[in-house]
Amino acid sequence: MYDGTSPSKAGVSGRGMASSGGGLRDGRIGLRVRAAQGNDGPVTRLAELDQAAPLRCLFPTVSKAEPLTACLTNTAGGLVGGDCLSIAVTVDPGARVLVMAQAAEKLYRSKGPDVRLDVSLSAGEGSWLEWLPQEMIVHNRARLRRVTRLDVDPGATVLAGEMLALGRAAHRERLTEGLIHDAWRVRVGGRLVWADALHLEGDLAEAIAHPAGFDGAVALATLVAYAPDGAALALMEEIRERLAASPKVRAGATEVRGLLITRFLSEDGLALRAAFADIWGYSRQALGRYAPVLPRPWHV
Amino acid sequence: MGGPMPPTDAFSCPEDGLFRLMAWLSPSFPVGAFTWSHGVEYAVEVGRVTNRASLTAWVSWILEAGAGRVDADLLREAMIAVAADDLDRLLRVTEEGDALRGTHEMVQESTTQGEAFLRAIGDCWPVPGLERWRAALKGLGRPCPYPVAVGLASALHGIPAGPVLSAFLHALGANLISAGVRLVPLGQTDGQKALAALGAVVARAARASLERPWEDLGAAAPMVDWTSIRHETQYTRLFRS
Repeated sequence: MYDGTSPSKAGVSGRGMASSGGGLRDGRIGLRVRAAQGNDGPVTRLAELDQAAPLRCLFPTVSKAEPLTACLTNTAGGLVGGDCLSIAVTVDPGARVLVMAQAAEKLYRSKGPDVRLDVSLSAGEGSWLEWLPQEMIVHNRARLRRVTRLDVDPGATVLAGEMLALGRAAHRERLTEGLIHDAWRVRVGGRLVWADALHLEGDLAEAIAHPAGFDGAVALATLVAYAPDGAALALMEEIRERLAASPKVRAGATEVRGLLITRFLSEDGLALRAAFADIWGYSRQALGRYAPVLPRPWHV
Repeated sequence: MGGPMPPTDAFSCPEDGLFRLMAWLSPSFPVGAFTWSHGVEYAVEVGRVTNRASLTAWVSWILEAGAGRVDADLLREAMIAVAADDLDRLLRVTEEGDALRGTHEMVQESTTQGEAFLRAIGDCWPVPGLERWRAALKGLGRPCPYPVAVGLASALHGIPAGPVLSAFLHALGANLISAGVRLVPLGQTDGQKALAALGAVVARAARASLERPWEDLGAAAPMVDWTSIRHETQYTRLFRS
């Protein structure tokens, strides 16, 4: 295990099932990591971890060449209407961390209330942050309101990606009703540079089928990359070439105010995952000299 | 109580307001609307828009579930902020509207037209208060998104939100139909039939915006974003987006 993952070395607190705040379950992760000097050079250590069920944060053993890896799990095995989860990750200046999820998140049918998911990621100067949850599998009549906030120091490097599966592909499930409100808010140096909000409500089947909507795609992903001095933007050409190699995925890369944004859309969830993995692997290698692969839990 | 009832229909419009909206949102108003296709150029290039029916469907979706949906809500919020003389609220809407652009060319499309619109209003249709609001926006260090610019001018000129939304959405739809007519290409009659079909769509979209809560701001048109991204590398291009 990495240094600094032992609770005795840092402020770690937790509580069991909670019912405050009106949500059915109020899960919470508050994670902060910091840079420190190890025997063989700079290392990243856990500074704070605050967790509330059903969310848990584990630190799997990974290769020494990888950044500190935090793996989030939802011990409830899925999300139901009324759940209210918050995840806050703070990467102190110079620290390097990969935050991922152990498994795909299932979003079950709701009897009315929304699932609320608030993700706040903050990356300090000279830090490295990878945010890589696995896909959210949205069941029919589920209701989701998710916002992912990125607060990036101009000297930080961040790769953040999210994937949605509209319906359970294995069950050939088609979404007809529900709510998916999925928003991004990205600040660089405190300034809001990019916001995005997918809002799917009402006749979901129409939106998914419509040629200007999803055109039949049931899997989508977004990857946001930022690096100092335009280093992420320099990857655009190569990324566009790589995307052209995935004919089953409608994808593209664009620059919005210093961010490199790559979007993926496909009728084939596996093809989308493969294209996403390729771009992710290439980006982390080019920007951080890490192995060009996704972490092990993704290899299912 | 007494006197005549105020108009209960949010879409009734005073005559001078109607005149202004027709002028500001006509293709001859100097914002250069005709240079932007919002990805329609690529949709035609790859055979996703090929005739009147596919063009009508494509543009209708943009109005109801794409940029039209987002911009209508931004316009409405800008008008509410100005009517309440709430500068902070207008600045928040401006920041939001500026950031809520999915692609590189969508940023250009919105900010270029927004800035040109405010310049033309300032030069030719001055109204008390406009310069104060413009100075505040300048202090924010952001360009003014097109829907916020239209909302600001309309609110200062005392035009109600309903007709402004109708006129704004009509202009967006008519401009994209016109782009499609040139690109597919389609005859003028087909273009007019496509536009006529947007009438009910615009009415629905404008009414929906008036009733929508702010937290539902968003779009469901990833294919339109995709065409806009792909347009950046399209080999032969007539349009800037």
